Amino acid sequence: MDTGLQTKSALREFADNLWHAPRRIAETMFRSGKPNTDRTRSTFVFGNVFLHLHPARTHRWSLRWCTTWGVGILCGASFLITLVTGVLLMFYYKPYPDVAYQSIKDIHFVVPTGQFIRNIHRWAANLMVIGVFLHMARVFYTAAYRAPREFNWLIGMGLFIVTLALSFTGYLLPWDQLAYWAITIGANIAQSPREITDALGITDKFDIGGLQRQLLLGSDVVGEEALIRFYLLHVMILPLALAMLMAVHFWRIRKDGGLARPDDADQRLGPPPGDTYPVFTEAPQKTYQLAAVVKGRTPAVGRGPENTVPTMPHLFYAELGVFMLTILICLGLAIWMDAPLKELANPNVPENPAKAPWYFLGLQELVSYSAFMGGVGIPMIVLIGLGLIPYLDREKTGTGEWFGGPGGGRLVASSAAFGLAAVLAVEVFAIRFGWLREWFPGIPQLVITFINPGTLIAAIYALYSLRVVRRFNSVRAGALALFTCFLCGFVVLTIVGTYFRGPNWHFYWSPADWPMH
Amino acid sequence: MNKNKYLLLISSLGCLALLLVAAAQENIFKPWRRIQSAARAEAGPIEVKLRQIVVPGLRTADRCVTCHVGMAPGESGVTGPKVVAAHKRMPHDPADFGCTVCHAGQSYATEKADAHGDVPHWPSPMIPAKYAYAGCGSCHTHVRVPNTTALERGRLVFQRLDCYACHRVDGRGGTLRVGGAHGMEGPDLSSAGATGYDPRWYEKHLAKSEWKNLFGPINAADRADLAVFLDSHVGAPGLVEAKALFHSLGCRGCHKVNGVGGDDGPDLTRAGQRDPALTDFSRVTGERTLENWHKQHLRDPARIVPGSAMPAMGLTDEQIEQLTFYIFSLRHSNFPEAYWPKDRIRAERFGEREFATDGATLYTTFCAACHGANGEGRRYPGMPLFPAVGNPDFLAVASDEFLAQAITRGRPGRRMPAWGEKEGGLRPEEISAVVQHLRRLGGPAEPDTKPSRWAQGDVAAGKKLYAVNCAGCHGADGKGGEALALNNAGLLAAASDTYLFKTIERGRRGTAMPGFTQASTVHPALSPEEIEALVSFIRTWEKR
Repeated sequence: MDTGLQTKSALREFADNLWHAPRRIAETMFRSGKPNTDRTRSTFVFGNVFLHLHPARTHRWSLRWCTTWGVGILCGASFLITLVTGVLLMFYYKPYPDVAYQSIKDIHFVVPTGQFIRNIHRWAANLMVIGVFLHMARVFYTAAYRAPREFNWLIGMGLFIVTLALSFTGYLLPWDQLAYWAITIGANIAQSPREITDALGITDKFDIGGLQRQLLLGSDVVGEEALIRFYLLHVMILPLALAMLMAVHFWRIRKDGGLARPDDADQRLGPPPGDTYPVFTEAPQKTYQLAAVVKGRTPAVGRGPENTVPTMPHLFYAELGVFMLTILICLGLAIWMDAPLKELANPNVPENPAKAPWYFLGLQELVSYSAFMGGVGIPMIVLIGLGLIPYLDREKTGTGEWFGGPGGGRLVASSAAFGLAAVLAVEVFAIRFGWLREWFPGIPQLVITFINPGTLIAAIYALYSLRVVRRFNSVRAGALALFTCFLCGFVVLTIVGTYFRGPNWHFYWSPADWPMH
Repeated sequence: MNKNKYLLLISSLGCLALLLVAAAQENIFKPWRRIQSAARAEAGPIEVKLRQIVVPGLRTADRCVTCHVGMAPGESGVTGPKVVAAHKRMPHDPADFGCTVCHAGQSYATEKADAHGDVPHWPSPMIPAKYAYAGCGSCHTHVRVPNTTALERGRLVFQRLDCYACHRVDGRGGTLRVGGAHGMEGPDLSSAGATGYDPRWYEKHLAKSEWKNLFGPINAADRADLAVFLDSHVGAPGLVEAKALFHSLGCRGCHKVNGVGGDDGPDLTRAGQRDPALTDFSRVTGERTLENWHKQHLRDPARIVPGSAMPAMGLTDEQIEQLTFYIFSLRHSNFPEAYWPKDRIRAERFGEREFATDGATLYTTFCAACHGANGEGRRYPGMPLFPAVGNPDFLAVASDEFLAQAITRGRPGRRMPAWGEKEGGLRPEEISAVVQHLRRLGGPAEPDTKPSRWAQGDVAAGKKLYAVNCAGCHGADGKGGEALALNNAGLLAAASDTYLFKTIERGRRGTAMPGFTQASTVHPALSPEEIEALVSFIRTWEKR
């Protein structure tokens, strides 16, 4: 090295570098320097992790609050909240019977902010379940499952199931009476195919129900094996599965062209506000087809982006806003109400009534009539039906609009009325007059398995929506009717199971009327 | 765009505000923080921190001392709010045992209602303060507790002999030595039953001429009563007295405690650990506390527990108070054996009895509820009459073997349970002590030289006589009615022919059973042959 050119000593340079280190660290945060020129600003946009998940520009339709009401982001946000609070709880939680309960008590009473964190975790988990229901309803009612988003609907159903599984597995971990007996109920529901195999007399050879229960509990009873199993599922396997499905789900949203919107969305929105920059005046000409990379055309190609705005910051603010709102809701609920913790689990003192988590109480209500139909049969029919919707409804009208399709909002309203009336009528009848077993004590269980209030409600709904299909000559109309009916049925059964069922699953107007032991 | 910005802004500010609220709740508004801030030790303010007593052997960590700072091991001279006061003097060091072992409550908790267990979903609330000594029952099983009569006799002897002149017992009596130096004249005897005392105390007292002149000598019977009195003083005032009452009313006739007692009522071994959540308070008037439940239940069981088979015993308020205290003490917690006190080891490993094994105590402990404190029999509404086992006419014809057998085997199918070791848990020597006690109540048996089965009467004639004279009370086929069942296998096995013969002959004074040797307005006089025929007829039920 030419020492003549060296104007500073190495020591001096070291001191200078040390002095400038903080500034340089700040600069290197941005891979192409501070975004203070047009060029660095655009490279900042290209290299941004947020924009990695999102397209660079977002349609203004997607940014309207009423398009989605933010429930999808709410689900993702609650997942992140449960993830962070869950990891914090893992520092103190000990997954072993009795010790688990003590550790929750410790979290409650002596771990700094432990109770607060646990409350947030619990509320965020419930919010996530509610959010997933609402998100699914939103996607359904805006017909957003239609091509090309059919498969993302299926992935969404996977997320729905994993979310319920996550919530359910978390239910056991406190190892209190609530947890113990809820999981006992859950495990018995898993065992309910025995109702069929028993009736056919093949349980000795083919005991699918018993196998399911064994797989779930790792033992014949809810014990330490079950706790370890549920813990592992709750903190590792299911979150990983959920994260992977979420990644695919988000990626598909982008690749499928963002959120669904009506064909005439641009006309409806009108011209963009004057301060939108940059304004594209021409449709882009480039297609991937020309690049000979993919067959077909991506949905964004060939459409003018006049009504799009830069994702950063428009969508960024919207999503961050919903995210913070979710945190706010969780914090508020956490301060307002403590997560429950009952007595230490005691296999000798059954809770009566033993109730599953609230989102399964609609099913438990059906299980009280027939374990198989309520626990396995009807849920399977519903899941298969939901999965088939995008493949049965291939119509075009109403995509991206609330209650879009023939019949529209009026059909949804009348279906809701019908759905409520039907489920209430059947429930009132069954509660008031009993069911087949009360009238014909000797009746074979198989008859009740197929003819019970649950199947009756499902059949009424199915017939009703078939009529709607014929009347409107539209599959979409039938789907609207059926989905609405099932939603009403779910809500009513869940409310009955939660608030109006007491010891031995008898009907009571209020827990104050429950008899004591 | 602006809408979303405002949403973000408002949500973020809201989150910030709520986090501040949570931080304040956590760091400022915790009641124990305020208590500890207000407390002062000799050296100045105390450090504000969570405090707990960890007892690894018992697997407990009691955080009670987070508020009750003065009760923490090693703390002294803490002043401030009442809650930080020191524990009153006691034999057990909290450093070794913690708090909840005796007082129950929720050891994990750091807030008052949670810690005291006055919240839903905590199965063992604190024992009410006025029954605090019931906590001893978690580990201790006071042995050889006599009935109230014996205990009272001991107390009277202690009083009569003026022992209070020198000795202090439960805060009463005792005099300071002249000049006040060297404490009391005699040692405090309040926990003599727990700590033990010199068995040669009498000889030692006699050796002091001053004492001998003023107080001595004491006869052997009085010394035995004094021993009962001293044994009952275990440092838990009232607890042994309450147990003595339990042993006076015959509660164990229906209730088992630690494996000994009847089966008609629930096992009471852990009755003090009753879970409020599993208790029906719907018929309790006033506050829904376990104390109220127990008291109202003792007064009128069927009102609190509909369909209860337990009769209203007609207890006084004072007795109810004592029994409630005793029930709270029936805890029998599962602690490692290393923590068991001597009395529990003696009771559960060496077969020593919780009740005194003299005949009188055994009788009141197991029999008094049905047969009366003095064998006079009892009648409860809705139940058949319980026989007067102290009746002299009965005892005159009943041999000791008959009595012992009746007690050991009971009367199958009737209310009288079997008290043999496998069933009721009484040992043969205890049963014979009960028999001896019955003799003291109602006199000896007449000697009987005949074999137990000698009647050779005419069964057919006996049947006719029975239908006319006996069936009205004893039932057409001897299955009992207003009077005893005569076809009972237990009775027929134990009763000799002489017993039956003489009972018919003389009747039983004080009961509805008349003597048949003399005619009355409702029955003719029976000849010995006729009575023998009756006995032979009654015997036919035995063979079936």
